[in-house]
Amino acid sequence: MENFSLSRCELIQLSEDTFIVTFNERIDFEPTQFIMIETETSIVRKPFGLGRWNDRLAIGVQVIGPGTAYMVQQEKLYAHGPCGRGFVPPEGRGAVIATLACLPMVFDLQERYNCDVLIGSVDEPWIEVPFPLVVGDEAFLKMLQSLNGYDWFLVIGSDQMEKIAYDALKNKGEVFVSFNEYMACGIGACRGCAKVTKHGLKHLCIDGPVLRGEEVWN
Amino acid sequence: MELRPPIVIASGVGGMGEYLKLIDPRYIGAYTLKTITFKPRLGNPPPRLIATERYLINSIGLENIGVEKFIEELENGLYEELFRKVKVIFSFAGEDFEEYLKVAEKMAPYQDRFVAFECNFSCPNVHFNPLSDTNQLKKMLIELRKKLDVFLIAKLGIEGAFIEQVARLVEECGWNGVTVINTIRALHINGETLIKGGISGPVLKPIALRAVYEVRNRTNLYIIASGGIMNETDAQDFFKVGANAVSIGTALYRDPEIVERIAKKFL
Repeated sequence: MENFSLSRCELIQLSEDTFIVTFNERIDFEPTQFIMIETETSIVRKPFGLGRWNDRLAIGVQVIGPGTAYMVQQEKLYAHGPCGRGFVPPEGRGAVIATLACLPMVFDLQERYNCDVLIGSVDEPWIEVPFPLVVGDEAFLKMLQSLNGYDWFLVIGSDQMEKIAYDALKNKGEVFVSFNEYMACGIGACRGCAKVTKHGLKHLCIDGPVLRGEEVWN
Repeated sequence: MELRPPIVIASGVGGMGEYLKLIDPRYIGAYTLKTITFKPRLGNPPPRLIATERYLINSIGLENIGVEKFIEELENGLYEELFRKVKVIFSFAGEDFEEYLKVAEKMAPYQDRFVAFECNFSCPNVHFNPLSDTNQLKKMLIELRKKLDVFLIAKLGIEGAFIEQVARLVEECGWNGVTVINTIRALHINGETLIKGGISGPVLKPIALRAVYEVRNRTNLYIIASGGIMNETDAQDFFKVGANAVSIGTALYRDPEIVERIAKKFL
């Protein structure tokens, strides 16, 4: 855990609102760990999942407001991390289902664990994605229904997408979910990112971000 | 109490010492632990936070392990590294007047380990507001003073009574200092969700400045100023109106290195 600054190497536009930012610096991290990045638009730093792209440290950013717009506009970002627990998959064949903004994270995961990766996107990406991809809600649901023969799944995306995927996959294998919750510190101090689970209160910045889906949902 | 630099890590924000991972301890005058209550508290249900450019509203609700578990951890050496690196302030509260006294009784044997005890009388996320009943408060201040020999600080908010009047009472009861101010009850509307909690951040600064000014003009207490201190100039302003130390809280969430920058100005 340390404070550091990140200088942008490349900005790659994946779709109208989704980008990959790669950095010149290298930091050690485990899959699904994240960094807390300072913005000018909020008094608290924002969490971004760490990954790799073009052999560089990278984050994916979907621009949904001024804070995420700031991330793709700046040449230099200030951050601390890596935060959270690294995801270690269980034994068996696994699949990672993610949104377009999570490409750097899942690229890194796939390299380390040789799992299958499937991407769901609202729009047709502007670049060639190196994983099987479906576009639109209907195709995404069909893809989820067609997934068989896996022992575990990891879902990374928005709250809504994650719940849909969990419901479709929960009887097909063990489903892990990278949960999203508002954070302030990212290091276990503020207790802001509490998640109610069947095993009591958990804090995503130190107990997560990945939890078993059945801990949170039925 | 002499703090060098005169900079305190605020209770709640600083957790149980986690920010030592990101801040050089040489720049911390004292580190206030998260408030400990008599019974363990789960805290409030999520969502617990909402932030804008100018403020943060938190609704943590004093989530903590309770005093018995804390003492167990203390005895098991969980905080040894923290004590080795910085001066530590113990923060405590109760769900009624009786519980404040019970925590004090339990912690009295350990008071020498701490540079001060801070009694949190002003959390906006719990239902009990000790500042609203001056007579009961006075009795408790006297009782707590009898039970504890440590440097005793009252963390005061602006809700319940004029803060300078409460500070006078604190001084009359033989206490040593006050932390001025706490977060203030606030509400944020996020779509269909109402987030109720305590507001902090730059919007608090003028309110906190006035509070420190008033308390300094009426007491000789040691004042830890708290509220909207985001940079060196903010800290300077609080020293101008009579603060003895400044407490850094929400600013840590934007940039933990702010502590080092402020400290270098006042070392």
